[in-house]
Amino acid sequence: MKVKRIVTVIVGLAQGAIGIVALFLVGLLYLNLLDFQTMLSVSTELLPLSLLVLSVFGFFSVVSGLFLLREH
Amino acid sequence: MNINTLFGADVWLKKAEKHGLFGAIMIGLGSAIGFEIFGQLGHAYSLAQGGMVFALLLGGLICLLTMFSYSELSAALPVKGGEYSYAKAAFGGFTAFMAGCLRWLSSVFGAAFAAIVFAEQLVYFLSILLPLDQNSMLAFTNLIAAVLVFIIGALTIRGVKEVTTFLVIAFLAIFALFLISGFWQSPAVPEILPRFEGLSGVFAATAYTFIMFVGIRAIVTGAPDIKDPGKNIPKAIFVSIVLLIAVYCSVAYVTVSVVGDKAFEEPTLLNFAATQTMGLLGGALVAVGGMVASISSLSTSITVQSSIVQGMSRDGYFPKVLLKIHRRYGTPHVAATVNSLFILLFIVFGAGAVGLGYAASFASILVFALVNLAVLKLRQKRPRLERPFKAPFYPVTPIIGIAISLMLLIAPVLLNRDASAESGIVWSLGFMGLVLTTYHLRMVGVHRLHVALGGISLGMGFFAAILAYLIEKGFNPLILPLVPPYILALVSITSILAGILNFVVGMRKLF
Repeated sequence: MKVKRIVTVIVGLAQGAIGIVALFLVGLLYLNLLDFQTMLSVSTELLPLSLLVLSVFGFFSVVSGLFLLREH
Repeated sequence: MNINTLFGADVWLKKAEKHGLFGAIMIGLGSAIGFEIFGQLGHAYSLAQGGMVFALLLGGLICLLTMFSYSELSAALPVKGGEYSYAKAAFGGFTAFMAGCLRWLSSVFGAAFAAIVFAEQLVYFLSILLPLDQNSMLAFTNLIAAVLVFIIGALTIRGVKEVTTFLVIAFLAIFALFLISGFWQSPAVPEILPRFEGLSGVFAATAYTFIMFVGIRAIVTGAPDIKDPGKNIPKAIFVSIVLLIAVYCSVAYVTVSVVGDKAFEEPTLLNFAATQTMGLLGGALVAVGGMVASISSLSTSITVQSSIVQGMSRDGYFPKVLLKIHRRYGTPHVAATVNSLFILLFIVFGAGAVGLGYAASFASILVFALVNLAVLKLRQKRPRLERPFKAPFYPVTPIIGIAISLMLLIAPVLLNRDASAESGIVWSLGFMGLVLTTYHLRMVGVHRLHVALGGISLGMGFFAAILAYLIEKGFNPLILPLVPPYILALVSITSILAGILNFVVGMRKLF
């Protein structure tokens, strides 16, 4: 039971962290800080789609991670 | 719960004494005259030119129409909470939640807009004092606005006192100086009646500047603190709107007449007009007035937002943590911090000053439509409810109020094709969608959410795994092509594990 609890906390933290990184990437790409769009080879046409995918992924990752942490 | 404690006004704000007619008028003017006129005239002028005067008159009259509904509801239900309470009495929980959220959204958009107006006025003021280029400095408006929100948010947590009445008198004095000097110079008589082809611009300007009048509702939301509300509130509303229309239209008229064909920076049109009539001192005076108004509005907005959020937390719509009160300062620090973060979010990622102005107006217009609907519903649902004041020409007035609200939502986007309006409507409707999703998720229950999140995480995990595999095989994805496959593999494993754990937890508790 204790092992499961530790695994849940670790996975929750990891998924939450991944989500935060994804949302941070959204901010960097949107504001194009440090010329990030060129750095990641994101074309102007596909920028909105990339932002949408990353935002949805980041949002659900953070929420899912928080739910796991809240459970234990 | 007791409806009188909605929005927690009695918890935090100083309990007001009973006001007479004059006090009620001062409440209305104090809440309505603010930063908006300093920041909105420029874009309104570019939309409607001389028709801006007519647009403001139209906005005032439309506001008066819905205020009949507000007056009826506030006289029949003299409780705190305003739109939230009326929607709750008429429709119940869900619509009340929508009304509360729209009111909150309008306030957050308005606060973000106020912070940007402050930055624009500061830049203008500095450009008078120092040899700096105003255009290049305008690039820093978002940064200045963000710093201001941080400072005001911190001050709100520590607890600040408001000086609304003094500010109203100060603003009226500035406007009076501007009008006297403007009319003294006998400027050319401008064309203020719109032509048919310019009507779409006038409607767009009306929609954009609508938040200039919205503050009048403070009279009705403060109904419990007003003597004989059945008589005083309708009178106070009527007098306040007439005064507001007179002040705004006069300022707009002088602005239009002195600007003419001259080139100006859109965000600081009023400063430019004041410079034309009173010299650099006039421009600086308007800039100081704009900055003070913005700070006052921002501070009041964070306080109001915290009250709204706390009231909805008390009803179980938002987490209880938002009800926490700071041990030392006695202020709702969690709610104030959350609201400040939302304001910051809108400043950094938002739709720009004009888009935020539209978004605030759109959210307020939707609240007005809901209030008109509440009047119609309550007349059917509770016909014997004592109504000291009844909306005249019922049901024509609320129906026209709803129709015009919809027209104001549509006009700037469909008729005028204003990009800022499109951005504003996307932001306001997008966030409305988000809060409605939150409502439904809250009602679904935690265990079902665990299962749903489990499924979503599994889906995301498998998608990342397939993407990693394809990149490894030489496939070049369109989205984020340079993400290494090992990172995608790591994301995939984490998401799949999280999906399984969430799914197991949810299913175990459901069955």
